[in-house]
Amino acid sequence: MTASEQIDPAVELAQLSVLVDDVHVNFRVYRDNEASLREFVRRGMRRTVDVHALRGVSLSVGVGESVGIVGSNGSGKSTLLRAIAGVQPLSSGRVLVRGEAHLLGVGAALKPLLSGRRNILLGGLAMGMQRAEIEARLPEVVEFAGLQESINLPLNTYSVGMRSRLAFAIATLRVADVLLVDEALAVGDQAFRERSLARLRSLRDEAGAVVLVTHNLVEIRQSCSRAIWLEQGEIRADGAVEDVLSEYSTTPT
Amino acid sequence: MSASRVTDPALVDAHANSQLGPYLRGLWKRRSYGWYVAESDLRQRQITTIFGSLWHLLNPVLSIAVYFLVFGLILKTDRGVDGKGSFLLFLTVGLFVFQYTQRAVTQGAISIVANRGLIQAIRFPRALLPLSATLTETFAALPTFVVVYVVALATGTAPTWSWLVLPLIVTWQMLFNFGASMIAARMTTHFRDMQQLLPFVFRLLIYGSGVFFAIENYVSDQWMKVVYIVNPMYGFIGMARWAAMGMAMPAEALIASVVWTTVALVGGFFWFKAAEHAYDRV
Repeated sequence: MTASEQIDPAVELAQLSVLVDDVHVNFRVYRDNEASLREFVRRGMRRTVDVHALRGVSLSVGVGESVGIVGSNGSGKSTLLRAIAGVQPLSSGRVLVRGEAHLLGVGAALKPLLSGRRNILLGGLAMGMQRAEIEARLPEVVEFAGLQESINLPLNTYSVGMRSRLAFAIATLRVADVLLVDEALAVGDQAFRERSLARLRSLRDEAGAVVLVTHNLVEIRQSCSRAIWLEQGEIRADGAVEDVLSEYSTTPT
Repeated sequence: MSASRVTDPALVDAHANSQLGPYLRGLWKRRSYGWYVAESDLRQRQITTIFGSLWHLLNPVLSIAVYFLVFGLILKTDRGVDGKGSFLLFLTVGLFVFQYTQRAVTQGAISIVANRGLIQAIRFPRALLPLSATLTETFAALPTFVVVYVVALATGTAPTWSWLVLPLIVTWQMLFNFGASMIAARMTTHFRDMQQLLPFVFRLLIYGSGVFFAIENYVSDQWMKVVYIVNPMYGFIGMARWAAMGMAMPAEALIASVVWTTVALVGGFFWFKAAEHAYDRV
């Protein structure tokens, strides 16, 4: 059964922010074959293997909802987020999104040789903002990311924490209609985590919806109204946060 | 921290290719990104060297000195250039015009691969990246075109009204470079080995476009002449030499250059855009 069959289009589509409909994703990855004759005879020149990362995932997120996704490493959580963001080609199925989706990932180093200030400007300009608008916002962005005097140093002198704080600040320059967060809060100190959680909550109120991928169950309890458990590219559970999380933490994988 | 709202929301397919109109509008809206990248990259490129920004000027002057030593003084490939201006000016124009395209396309080729972080973080029309690479190399090339005027005056070439046409030729060449950059960027994304192959393509081209010698006086075979004349670089070099030093240029080269630029820009754009979603996977 697909998501589009579950809902009555006329009634429900108006309140939907994200619709993922029977999505499959296959990766082709390069393998580093053993350079032996036996290996060559067995596999020939074939150097790629297919990975079936998502196997028919269907879900819908309503306007104003914030959904936390849990699952073990390699279960397809990040692939799902990228598919919703439209930056992961699908093998089959479709994804509908209301408005513009922003994907917020870990430490996306924009231009490592340029200063933090220039990176903020470049990120904003690439998002289509006006330069004056970004420059006016610069002081609060610098303060939010806690970068004060480092803002004029090149990005490659930043620590991992500083870099991801900057990336978070850049990605949240504008309110996305759908905000997709991939473990972006896993780095950074306690103070920044609290600041960014507060920021996420205010974004969720302004944005259409938030989808959050994390291993930190506390974060999901604090900021999500619904949880989804993804395992081996399939949805194992979808529902109220406490129900899904207790099932997730008691089931051995 | 407050933020501005992104769009008027409507439920749309996140994987559909954007239509031509919205794509071009998105590109136009982000044009200041291109200017800002050019400014930032040029500043950052020389920040660790002692002479700093002076290298934008020193580099072309030194390369001219090397090629003049080899081709002007040792090999003497100046047959057919005497009388129509100095060989030094002939070489300067040819080399700078050629290097401008070579650098723009080389940077354009890696523009997708080199901006992984940005691509994965933010959605925007990806043609912005080869466009920014072309703009950056255009700004980097501007001092070299000033050197052309300086060499012309220093070698006693009388200024003519055609000197004013040179900037137009450079602008025309920029359109070709943008088109070629988009083609090279898509090829490099699918086929990473392009990065290793490009230097050889350009080495072949530099000998095939009469940078170091006047083709009419060195190539006698009719068919070889045709191959030289239809090569895109020969047209730009010929036009620039006509503008700077009044050298005659074959009409076929002019036509070839118009065709090349149109095909590269229009064909390159649509070919690049057709793979818009593939760039997300680099």
